[in-house]
Amino acid sequence: MSLSDLISHMDLSVFPEVALVIFAGVFVAVSARTLRADRAAFEAAAGLPIDDPAPAREEEPRE
Amino acid sequence: MSDSPSSGEPASPQAAGLETFRYDDGLPRMFLMATLVWGVVGMLVGLIVAIQLVAPSLGGLHEWLTFGRLRPLHTNAVIFAFAGNAFFCGAYYSMQRLLKTRMYSDALGKFHFWGWQAIIVSAAVTLPLGFTQGKEYAELEWPIDIAITLVWVVFALNVFGTIARRRERHIYVAIWFYIASIVTVAVLHIFNNLSIPAGALKSYPIYAGVQDAFMQWWYGHNAVAFFLTTPFLGLMYYFLPKAANRPVFSYKLSILHFWSLVFIYIWAGPHHLHYTALPEWASTLGMLFSVMLWMPSWGGMINGLLTLRGAWNKVASDPVLKFFVVGVTFYGMSTFEGPMLSVKTVNALSHYTDWTIAHVHGGALGWVGFITFGMAYWLIPRLFQTRLASPKLAEAHFWMGTIGILFYIVPIYVAGLTQGLMWRAFDATGRLAYPDFVETVNALMPMYWVRVVGGVLYLTGAILCLGNAVVTWARRPERYEEPVYEAPALGPYEPSSAESPWGSKRGDGGAFFDLRRFAALRWHRRWEALPLTFTAWVVVAVVVASLFEIIPTFLIRSNVPTIASVKPYRPLELLGRDIYIAEGCYNCHSQMVRPLIAETERYGEYSKPGEFVYDHPFQWGSRRIGPDLHRVGGKYPHLWHLQHMEEPSKVTKGSIMPPYPHLLRDPIDWSAAQKRVEVMAMLGVPYGDTVRHAEEDARAQAADIARALGEQIHPNDPAKQAAAAERYKDKQITALIAYLQRLGTDIKAEQAQKK
Repeated sequence: MSLSDLISHMDLSVFPEVALVIFAGVFVAVSARTLRADRAAFEAAAGLPIDDPAPAREEEPRE
Repeated sequence: MSDSPSSGEPASPQAAGLETFRYDDGLPRMFLMATLVWGVVGMLVGLIVAIQLVAPSLGGLHEWLTFGRLRPLHTNAVIFAFAGNAFFCGAYYSMQRLLKTRMYSDALGKFHFWGWQAIIVSAAVTLPLGFTQGKEYAELEWPIDIAITLVWVVFALNVFGTIARRRERHIYVAIWFYIASIVTVAVLHIFNNLSIPAGALKSYPIYAGVQDAFMQWWYGHNAVAFFLTTPFLGLMYYFLPKAANRPVFSYKLSILHFWSLVFIYIWAGPHHLHYTALPEWASTLGMLFSVMLWMPSWGGMINGLLTLRGAWNKVASDPVLKFFVVGVTFYGMSTFEGPMLSVKTVNALSHYTDWTIAHVHGGALGWVGFITFGMAYWLIPRLFQTRLASPKLAEAHFWMGTIGILFYIVPIYVAGLTQGLMWRAFDATGRLAYPDFVETVNALMPMYWVRVVGGVLYLTGAILCLGNAVVTWARRPERYEEPVYEAPALGPYEPSSAESPWGSKRGDGGAFFDLRRFAALRWHRRWEALPLTFTAWVVVAVVVASLFEIIPTFLIRSNVPTIASVKPYRPLELLGRDIYIAEGCYNCHSQMVRPLIAETERYGEYSKPGEFVYDHPFQWGSRRIGPDLHRVGGKYPHLWHLQHMEEPSKVTKGSIMPPYPHLLRDPIDWSAAQKRVEVMAMLGVPYGDTVRHAEEDARAQAADIARALGEQIHPNDPAKQAAAAERYKDKQITALIAYLQRLGTDIKAEQAQKK
């Protein structure tokens, strides 16, 4: 029996539901991990784009 | 501007533990100008094809300038040249600052820039010449595909090298979006373009029919996701906080936004193939995940808009923020509409109509375009180190662009609904209310004219932006300042480090944290410098979803039930099919009769999966500006096709199809027949003995068709019949007629047998 035969005999109508369960599981895991993370460190991370350090030498060009 | 990485990374530290470095702004400068130049070019081609639809005579000026050849040029230019360069520009600018380092290699950056521009130029040359793979947004032929892969790998090396050298432990969420884009686009590009060359600029995909369609829309949908959405979300998460001078509203939400998108998007591709010969379960799966996409997309939109909390007063005066606000709003609108269109019942009405075109342009002009222009206006003064030449023109651009978008999408929504409803309208006697397809096209002309006005406005705005950038560039300082920055080098990775958002919670149980303990091994510490684990998770999310759909589609025999009467194309028909592909007929004609009563009434028997098993590539199309052609075989005499291709409007009054006189003039490339049949045979098409005398077979069939043509042109004059047969027996039109007359006929033989 080839892989094609095997998969051809499977009932794939449950595939959307299986996919939904996989997704929901991953989503819950990612959410739980994100929500448990440290707030202060996230605030520091969120500030990365706007916390540009001043140049050590030479003036930054004026806008 | 220094070229070598060593001079970009000054060796002698200022103080103990501190390293000094300069940013390379030369590369973002080059990508920015390329973005604006190619944007104008791509939008101009878009305007030309929009005008061709209302003034079809312009389509016949030259064979290089027909709608079918220019439309792929428009889509490729705006996607890969305009949006692509914008992504590279923003990524190179933001990554250096977010990671506190110069890019890994100036040389790789330069190779990336010039390589990408060379690819764009080669696309601009080959597409009008008719070299195409015939798959939407993947039209470029195999040598260019290899070049794209090479340049993409160089880009990836530079990005990952930079991340490895970073001086900031945390990788900001914008860079997550860049990484996801880079790895996913690589996977999509490679697998959708797997093909066997049949000439220097000709190839056949290894997939056929249903499987090719599936791969193509897995690619097409995710190209929208990972070339036009995630890169620009990355840009939004950097440049919007920058312009508003506020941190992103919720960093946690941005992480959920990221993982949800990466995980859901890949599954949604089959919604492009509802009611086609795709299996039902795959179609449902695509619909389900498309509807789920709405949630994270709106999370992202809300996150973007709320980043402006307390800064809304700036929106009134700052054109950059204006562009961003409208751009993010269009992201919200498109990502609501996309899931809605993926619902099968809505799709039954919207598919193949202009509704799709309106949806795409809401996203392209509103989201991608406006995020790009907002970013450009923020970057221009910073990169050219002088004031923006004209803030007033930037303001004018904003209003022109916004009104241009509305003038584009509103009439095209109306056009889509109008045509969709006309196709399915029945009169009181149960017959189609608009049996002539051309009626349903002519009804759209007023809307198409308004679209031209919208396009002119949007293009004018883009030209203003380019002009503003060029004048600002002309006023640049004699020498750009390159300030030196200092930051401490990253020490070895400490699992308990509080620098990581997850650091303080580590070790308190749970699967993730056990994995982390395992990660404390020494070999792994070195890997931590590279965000390999992260990238691996992205790849896992993308590959799992892909395999879930692809494996069954390829392996289940019942997905594509064999139809005994379906035979391979004869060599001449194959050559004709290649002409059909080269002319880009799929841009206006579908080959997929859906199992809907309005379609079977109009076109005939609905299309079966087994009918496409020899179609490398599939040609189902995605838009009907002209009628479906899957059952056109045998519908008209040869002469009808000849006259129709020569001057469509003479045969069908009101037709907006361009004329193809060159097909009646240009000879068939007989020498190609053998090679092409051989490649088809290599792909598993059962050609049997024909593979040994492909050219002979093609010439014989051409002589038959030319003889029939002669009889139809001069029914009562044998001498003239012979002359006409002689004239057409080696012309391209004969090959195309052979193909068109074959289309969808094999199944009729089976039905006749049953009777």
